[in-house]
Amino acid sequence: MNLYGREMRAHRKSLLIWIAGIIVMLTIGMGEYTSMEESGNAMNALLADMPKALKALMGIGELDIGTPLGYYGVLFLYLLLMAAIHASMLGAAILSKEERDKTAEFLLAKPLSRRRLLVYKLLAALTNVVIFNVVMLVSSLLVVGAYGQGETTAPAIVFLLMGMLLVQVVFLTVGMAIAGAGRQPKRAVAFSASAMLLTFLLSMAIEISGHIDYLRFLTPFQYVDAAVVMDTGIEASYTLLSLGISALSLIILFVGYNRRDMK
Amino acid sequence: MNMYLYELRAYRNVTIIWIASIVGFVLLMMSMYPTFASDAEAFMELFASMPDSVVQAMGIGIDSIASLLGYYSYIFLYVLLCGAIQAMHLGGSILSKETREKTADFLLAKPVTRVAIMTSKLLAALTLLLATNAIYFAAASLIAAMVAQEPYDYGAFALISFSLLLLQLIFLAMGIAAALLLPRMKTVLPVTLGTVFAFFVLTFIGSSTGDGLLRYATPFHYYDRAYMIQHGGYETGFVTASIVIIVACTLFGYRRYQKRDVHAV
Repeated sequence: MNLYGREMRAHRKSLLIWIAGIIVMLTIGMGEYTSMEESGNAMNALLADMPKALKALMGIGELDIGTPLGYYGVLFLYLLLMAAIHASMLGAAILSKEERDKTAEFLLAKPLSRRRLLVYKLLAALTNVVIFNVVMLVSSLLVVGAYGQGETTAPAIVFLLMGMLLVQVVFLTVGMAIAGAGRQPKRAVAFSASAMLLTFLLSMAIEISGHIDYLRFLTPFQYVDAAVVMDTGIEASYTLLSLGISALSLIILFVGYNRRDMK
Repeated sequence: MNMYLYELRAYRNVTIIWIASIVGFVLLMMSMYPTFASDAEAFMELFASMPDSVVQAMGIGIDSIASLLGYYSYIFLYVLLCGAIQAMHLGGSILSKETREKTADFLLAKPVTRVAIMTSKLLAALTLLLATNAIYFAAASLIAAMVAQEPYDYGAFALISFSLLLLQLIFLAMGIAAALLLPRMKTVLPVTLGTVFAFFVLTFIGSSTGDGLLRYATPFHYYDRAYMIQHGGYETGFVTASIVIIVACTLFGYRRYQKRDVHAV
């Protein structure tokens, strides 16, 4: 339990910076909505006829940017990207930093099995990710609510944020697996972040092309398509797929870390 | 000279990976251009019949997006994103890695001045970025020639591609400044990704408010591709701004590096 507390303290500062980032991002981002709203209906008519690829290029997709919620959906992609960056770097760093800072020997000499060590680190990382998500949820509800005119936006936002949590957990566990089971702790954070960036670019490519939808399962960014999730919630298949990826990463992590030679 | 060659070798593989991924991305996106162009054609007709105020609100880039250059400009934003991460990470790590990896006292005990160390490291970083851009430009020209359906303005294409180097130099300088500003950079990547994505997101938010002073806040806005296509050149104000940032960060880097206290292991 000491380890858990230590990790929470060690990541407190960076979490606070991220939280400030979320709030700034949300307020500035939704602030733009006011200027969007003014050009109103003509814009919507135009958007309705715009080809899908063009909309994807502009980040609009199938959302109705004339409403606060629709506009939030456009913004959501970037919020999701933020969450993914946070989770993938946190996951890789929380394990690889011991070897980077040359404290692995110290830690592993303690009367604590590697399995327990992983469990505490995993718990600490999950707590961080959940705090990130809750802050995002609360501030989204407040900011979007402030622009709405009485329509109920809460369920859609809650769905979106649940989707975000899934994506966060996927990137977190994959990052931990890369750092814990991989053989290059120094580069683990870079590997984890580039894997995340690659899936983001793939997601953009899928949106723009429109012909390679069958690749969607490869990138978590596609699991929570804002337009779909706001209507019907996260598709069960994608939920299962994310949980499957996470479970697989955890198995790799626990098996790999136990056999690993520390540097 | 030894330090220069050493750094080039140290970063060779990383640079090759960056080049390969950027070129791969452009290849993937540009290969979709032919289908995209036919889709957009129909939409353009509708667009022409819209009132002027709507056209204004959508932003200037839209009327050219069906063209190769317009499409390339949109994709290019992501190329810039990758390039910025590469450059800032390079700038941040090339100077801070000595302290991080506890090789600083080894290096500083050699009969070279700190200015010489800094200069060779900077030159190495510059060479790597130049190589990246040269290969990128060659590859992008080739890809564009393959997918083009109508002749396009090669000058504007070159201008757009060249702005990658200019943006990378800004981020390289910022990376160097960051490495020397923070007392001990334990990890470079979080700082890099944080800065680059903050600017990147600001770009999206700023893009709908149009021009004005806000554009100076994010380097991603300095080289406006619609402007380049129309006028065949860069905007003087923003070129000046880039030079000021680069010079200021580099000077700060030199001054700070000469005076900095480097801990022995």
